Amino acid sequence: MGNILIVAEIQKGKIREATLEMAAIAQKLAGPLGKEVKSVVLGKDIGAAAEELSKKGGGEVFAADHELLANYNVDAFTQATRTAIEAAGADLILVSNTPSGWDFAPRLAAGLDAGFVSDCFNIEEEGGKPVFVRRVFNGKLDARLLPQTDVVVATVQPGATAAFEGATDGKVTNLDAGIDAAAVRAKFIETKVAESKGVDLTKADIIVSGGRGVGAPEKFTETIQPLADALGGAMGASRPVVDAGWLPHEYQVGSSGQVVTPKLYIACGISGAIQHLVGMKASNFIVAINKDGDAPIFEVADVGVVGDLFEVVPALTKAISEAKGG
Amino acid sequence: MKIMVCLKQVPHQDARLDVRSDGTWIQEDNIKFEINSYDTYALEEALRVKDSGEAEVVVVSIGPDRVSQALRTALGMGADRAIHVNDAEAENSDALGIAKILASIAKEENPDLIMTGLMSDDGNFSAVGAMLAELVGIPHTTAVMKVEHTDSGLKLERELEGGALEVVELPRPCLIAVQTGINQVRYASLKGIMAAKKKPIDVKTAGDLGLAGQIAPKMKIEKVYTPPKGDGAEMIEGSTDEVVAKLVSKIKELGLL
Repeated sequence: MGNILIVAEIQKGKIREATLEMAAIAQKLAGPLGKEVKSVVLGKDIGAAAEELSKKGGGEVFAADHELLANYNVDAFTQATRTAIEAAGADLILVSNTPSGWDFAPRLAAGLDAGFVSDCFNIEEEGGKPVFVRRVFNGKLDARLLPQTDVVVATVQPGATAAFEGATDGKVTNLDAGIDAAAVRAKFIETKVAESKGVDLTKADIIVSGGRGVGAPEKFTETIQPLADALGGAMGASRPVVDAGWLPHEYQVGSSGQVVTPKLYIACGISGAIQHLVGMKASNFIVAINKDGDAPIFEVADVGVVGDLFEVVPALTKAISEAKGG
Repeated sequence: MKIMVCLKQVPHQDARLDVRSDGTWIQEDNIKFEINSYDTYALEEALRVKDSGEAEVVVVSIGPDRVSQALRTALGMGADRAIHVNDAEAENSDALGIAKILASIAKEENPDLIMTGLMSDDGNFSAVGAMLAELVGIPHTTAVMKVEHTDSGLKLERELEGGALEVVELPRPCLIAVQTGINQVRYASLKGIMAAKKKPIDVKTAGDLGLAGQIAPKMKIEKVYTPPKGDGAEMIEGSTDEVVAKLVSKIKELGLL
């Protein structure tokens, strides 16, 4: 029976919150699965981060300090993680489902001929085995998966669990990452920060967003924008709208767009794919209007209306204007 | 240049999702299917290379008979030929099994570039592309938002969080898993659809690829189910006027009116 290995992620020199969330999951599973928790920190000049993780549920932390790990690199990260798996004697490897994690974790699993499961929001124990729980069909259904093999690589959804709280006595072990520079083919050039936004939704008190259900670009000007205007708020959109070229990227709310927390968020014709929910679920009050009563958006909404947005939204716009006028 | 594009046919985004009787997936009879949205962007990106010069675009899909429709659509959009792996064993496999099938095709085809979508709209695993690259032994990157072809390889922009991008270079051969929104996907023209009827679809089984008995799933879906309703929303019902009146009073309670 092998151990659990958490693959830590560094953000601005510190251990990312998502890593501490995995520490909470790993510490909870360790006893029932009869495993020890170990971690690996990949990067350059990471001693302090490794120390931090060892005290926050990371167990024995392997610090793999290497020039080629200074920036995310698929080949270098895959190689170094394999070295850490050997060192940790791990058969359950946890990686955050972040842009780096989703990039190399499946590759790692294929190289190990291991089971792979992505974006788990929970990992449970049943009969001494891990059970992985995740969303499918863009959030419309949940699935439980059982490994048919001993070695499993799983990516964990950031924000799905609370971070590990408490203090642990871990230790830090330096690890030679064993990177073969000749086998590192991908070349990191630079990170480009988000372009300055013409529309800064993060400062809006009220946001009225439209999704695929709005149906056409002109419907945003005819239906969504007037409600935003009547409320004195801003207009937003979900990813499919931006992908279709109906609105520019600066309107996009979600993990790859803007993360917003207005006092009021009105979601019109948005089904609620996880990448959108991540960007708006912390809003103070959420109204969802959608024709599909099973849409996941209703799970995060405070009030919901199952109906035709082209009836409800214009009527609401009129009523708001009247209320403000009177 | 030869480009291999991997396509999955998935339930239509508006299809009704009922869990089938054994509880492990949805009921797929009598629902509409379409090409996975992410994969249409990958195909478009490949066709743009073809439009700008010499490239052969080979589309590959795995699935039952219905998949031939997705491949015909891809051929109608401009792909040159198609490979359809139709095998019951593949039906019960998992991402790694699918990647093994695609890897065995890639080793036969020897493409300069493999393109996939970032993930599928049904399983949402986001796994096959990176796995395929590992099995073929080529570099890869995912969530690609911009592709620039250079003499030796590709200069790519991959999507990070909050609108940031990472610029990465990969030598050819390599694999890219494309993010939605990278381009505007074309429709098949009538002329394209007519021409597609003459284009070949090569049908294979796992056995033909030497993989019979080697693609059993390493992860098994125990069950799929409607997510348990949490606190959820307070649902407002009634006529449009009644609904609007209640919404207005909620917004007033928030002090926003």
